[in-house]
Amino acid sequence: MEDVLDEIVSSEDLQKFEKVFHEQLHRGTVTHKAQFEYAWCLVRSKYPTDIRKGILLLKELFNSHPEGKRDYLFYLAIGNARIKEYNKALHYVKSFLEIEPANQQVLTLERQITKRMEKEGLIGIAHWALLMNALLGVHYLFAKKKQIKED
Amino acid sequence: MDYVTTLKILVIGESGVGKSSIILAFTTGDYNASFPATIGVDYKCKVMDVNGMKVKLGIWDTAGQERYRTLTSSFYRDAHGAILVYDVSEPRTLTKLNEWAEELQVYSTKKNIVCLVVGNKIDKQNRVVPREHGKAFAQKHRMLFIESSAKTQEGINLAFEELVQKIIETPGLWETGGSSSNIRITNDSERRQQEQSSCYDYTCTI
Repeated sequence: MEDVLDEIVSSEDLQKFEKVFHEQLHRGTVTHKAQFEYAWCLVRSKYPTDIRKGILLLKELFNSHPEGKRDYLFYLAIGNARIKEYNKALHYVKSFLEIEPANQQVLTLERQITKRMEKEGLIGIAHWALLMNALLGVHYLFAKKKQIKED
Repeated sequence: MDYVTTLKILVIGESGVGKSSIILAFTTGDYNASFPATIGVDYKCKVMDVNGMKVKLGIWDTAGQERYRTLTSSFYRDAHGAILVYDVSEPRTLTKLNEWAEELQVYSTKKNIVCLVVGNKIDKQNRVVPREHGKAFAQKHRMLFIESSAKTQEGINLAFEELVQKIIETPGLWETGGSSSNIRITNDSERRQQEQSSCYDYTCTI
């Protein structure tokens, strides 16, 4: 793994922390620790539904546990970037950098997110160009056909 | 890819001992006096030349804070080497390394993982932990030992060179396949290196 956005949680870890979280939920009180551990696994899952669930848990923590804010902001950025919600991800990065402007870990994350946006933006443009080409080609063929008929 | 192999190196120890600073000093030569606490796990890489071979190091910087303790252990998997850092001005951080060493034993999957104990911040005026204490800890756990300062760069490169050299020399640790290394010859030897201002000792496990 060279990119935190590509790192995937192991299923054993996800299951382990999911179990703890659900046990606590069942008993009626969930600790910040258990919720964060479970959310940390969820946002690193390969399934977008898990990531979205992790984001919800992190948002809840962000509002209820101010001591852990920097950790929650960081993983909110990671979770959103992983489901390609890049603008939201950058919003969390910016909020973090307002508190710690020189944080290398977060500045690296910001670079990785913008790199992905650019890459996917370019891919988007490339797809669009291909589609336009195809449409123009079809149009040309039709025009040609029409011309032949008219001739 | 023009490197022979990729090695996974783990850096662990209490919060504030200088794990990220050591990695920063090694990978870029920079120093930052007010390093914020690492969030979760960070990753840095560097290609190193060992015995004429290019080796890529994937260095995993783990958060030392208690809240991450249960989370970061999953990153111990498949590590070839581990650096256990303590702060020579904080005796508690050396005592706490016992717990980190235990975690390593429980969670690391490679049985002959090479470990290096690093006593960091030797540039500080208020050093409290004598080098003998760090050395004794390392010997007890059969680990390599070195003292360093991320601030002055002293011992930093040497630490990584020692660790990687030892990993490369350990049969079956990084090559694919290989023999079952049931034979363990423990050779406690001391060595002083003249060319470096900081001398070092090591306990080797083959």
